[in-house]
Amino acid sequence: MRRTLTAATAIALVAGAAMWFVSAAGAQGGGTVEVEVKYNGAPVVEKLKVNKDTQQCGTEAVIEKVVVGANKGLAYAVASAPGAKGTTKTKAVIDQKGCKFIPHVVAMQPGEIEIKNSDGILHNIHTYSTANPAINKAQPKFKKTMTEKFEKPEVIKVTCDVHSWMLGWVAVTPGVAAVTDKDGVAKLENVPAGKQKIEVWHETLGKQEKSVDVKAGATTKVTFEMKGK
Amino acid sequence: MAGGRPGGTRLVAVACLAASLALAADRGAAWAQGDANAGKAVYEAKCLLCHGEKGDGKGPGADLLSPRPRDFTKGLYKIRSTASNTPSDQDIFRIITEGMPGTSMPGWAVLPEKERWNLVAYLKAFAPERFTEAPERLELPPDVASSADSIARGKEMFEAIECHKCHGNEGRADGPSRAELKDEWGEPIPPANLAKRWTFRGGASRTEVATRIAAGMQGTPMPAFLDSVEYPEDIWHLTNYIFSLGPESPAYATLLTVTSVSDAIPDDPDAEFWKALQPSNVPLMGQVIVDPRNFNPVIDLVSVRAAYNDTEVAFHLTWDDPTESKGDGKQTFPDAISVQFPPQVTGGTERPYFLMGDANEAVYLLRWQQGAGVVEASANGPGKIAPLEGGEVTGTAVFDNGRYRLVIKRPLAAEGEDRPSFQPAVFTPVAFQAWDGGAGETGPRMSLTSWYYLRLEEPQSNRRFIIPPVVALLTLAAMILVVRTANRAR
Repeated sequence: MRRTLTAATAIALVAGAAMWFVSAAGAQGGGTVEVEVKYNGAPVVEKLKVNKDTQQCGTEAVIEKVVVGANKGLAYAVASAPGAKGTTKTKAVIDQKGCKFIPHVVAMQPGEIEIKNSDGILHNIHTYSTANPAINKAQPKFKKTMTEKFEKPEVIKVTCDVHSWMLGWVAVTPGVAAVTDKDGVAKLENVPAGKQKIEVWHETLGKQEKSVDVKAGATTKVTFEMKGK
Repeated sequence: MAGGRPGGTRLVAVACLAASLALAADRGAAWAQGDANAGKAVYEAKCLLCHGEKGDGKGPGADLLSPRPRDFTKGLYKIRSTASNTPSDQDIFRIITEGMPGTSMPGWAVLPEKERWNLVAYLKAFAPERFTEAPERLELPPDVASSADSIARGKEMFEAIECHKCHGNEGRADGPSRAELKDEWGEPIPPANLAKRWTFRGGASRTEVATRIAAGMQGTPMPAFLDSVEYPEDIWHLTNYIFSLGPESPAYATLLTVTSVSDAIPDDPDAEFWKALQPSNVPLMGQVIVDPRNFNPVIDLVSVRAAYNDTEVAFHLTWDDPTESKGDGKQTFPDAISVQFPPQVTGGTERPYFLMGDANEAVYLLRWQQGAGVVEASANGPGKIAPLEGGEVTGTAVFDNGRYRLVIKRPLAAEGEDRPSFQPAVFTPVAFQAWDGGAGETGPRMSLTSWYYLRLEEPQSNRRFIIPPVVALLTLAAMILVVRTANRAR
């Protein structure tokens, strides 16, 4: 009886160690997930007459709510793999240029974000967040950069009250994330092999998720079809 | 034994003192923490009608108020003296106690202090997740007293950090971003008129103003500037500059005086002549008696200067209006103002109904409208205005940086029953109505006053400069005569 118990424990220990080793190896040799986001609808663009700072902002503000590229690819969607932690190291940057947030959507992992003001006029960074402390800080012309911290995962709306058309999004995600390009494609690198949940979020078209079998050292493709609301 | 007694008494006294101190400290702590359950009863009796049962700012009265009552469920508070996103208990307590100027929130100093602390606890309980950490103290830079240099630096910083984008070049809430501003709940929110400090929501002391600049106002577009000025002390220079934009209080008038002059009265509202006259400030309220009512009027004050000479009487009016509007006839209308008198000045106490007269008794109006100039009119109520023919009335208006100045001139005397004649030393009833057409005000949607009194100074003849010196000289002569006679007699 006692012998069997010891043997079982030993086997369990060995098996556990082996599993740990395998999963660690899997994480090391992760794969790439190429996420393609499609939208079978028309682009949504709003235009607004600008009554100030026309030198920097132009005379017409273009608010791109849904940007659709070639082959119905949906731009500015955030693709993320919540299970793939701690893999992006580059600092997130958002710039205020031409009275627009550039890029329009930033994906980052919890940490710092650099906020630039290239316009040389007053902007104010006003975030609508619940998990992270909301920010409403002025960034006058002489304050070229500020650094803020977003520690908790959530999608944060960013506005400027001086120029009400300015709208940006910062997606703080627990795992590796990327924003789709003009063709609707985002690449998630170093995603651990095995079954992974892939999430896609778009500011007006909502959220979807799929499960993907990631193979080490290979590129796995997955396509999302967003539905109009 | 003999010495033990006083010692014992002392001991008892010390013990009593310590006990009472401990009790006081204990009570203080209990008050500062407040009892949310006890606060609920007070809230339901006093706050619910506006702020709503759930604290979401949707009480039955909420739709009539602008700004709307605070939604406590988000835990966002405009007025805070902290560097973090939540106010201190003291901040909430102060607003409950003192209210918010320029809003519908009254001060509740009538409630016992303990009940106000209980309310603080209850309000916090609407958003408990926001109050898990103690708020961080806001450290203002050392105070810089006001001086010409400080005000100049404040103006420079005001322009550099572009306060004018919302608040306007002279601070009168007329900046180009005004129309775009929305609060956290998507409701339009006007910027503060920095020339009217007495309407500041969070108080008008220097520290309060500096704190608002440094910390911003949560749930509103007003951002924090503590780390966004060139030097920390610029917060104080800005404060000093803002204090230079307007008076501390409006010092409302009770009687309007028309100054007697012998020269011609200038038509130009910006002439030095007018600046030399002391203005009388008159408060205006929204018209809420007849439909459509105007619960949230834009124009809340008119500054009145007036003068007359042998032939003319002139009224100089100054008022803030963030938008100069000729009107599109749909959503916006021409800006307008009118000065109202009874059709005949009797000096008695009988006056027509203050709201532009009624069917039985008309009022006489001097009515200026953007784009149309001044007319004389007779009114039998807000909907029944008829222009008067054949009068001589002129008007000149100037608008810039969110402020109108207007001069209306009329002959002193008038014929007929529809127009009053103005006489010195007679108490003449006067009232005012104003419309911000840019905000959609027209017809009964106006701000107005009830009757005030106007008095033309008695003409100042030169006699007051001649008679007293003559009397003095004669007295001196008589005294010299008396002294001489007395000396001679000796």
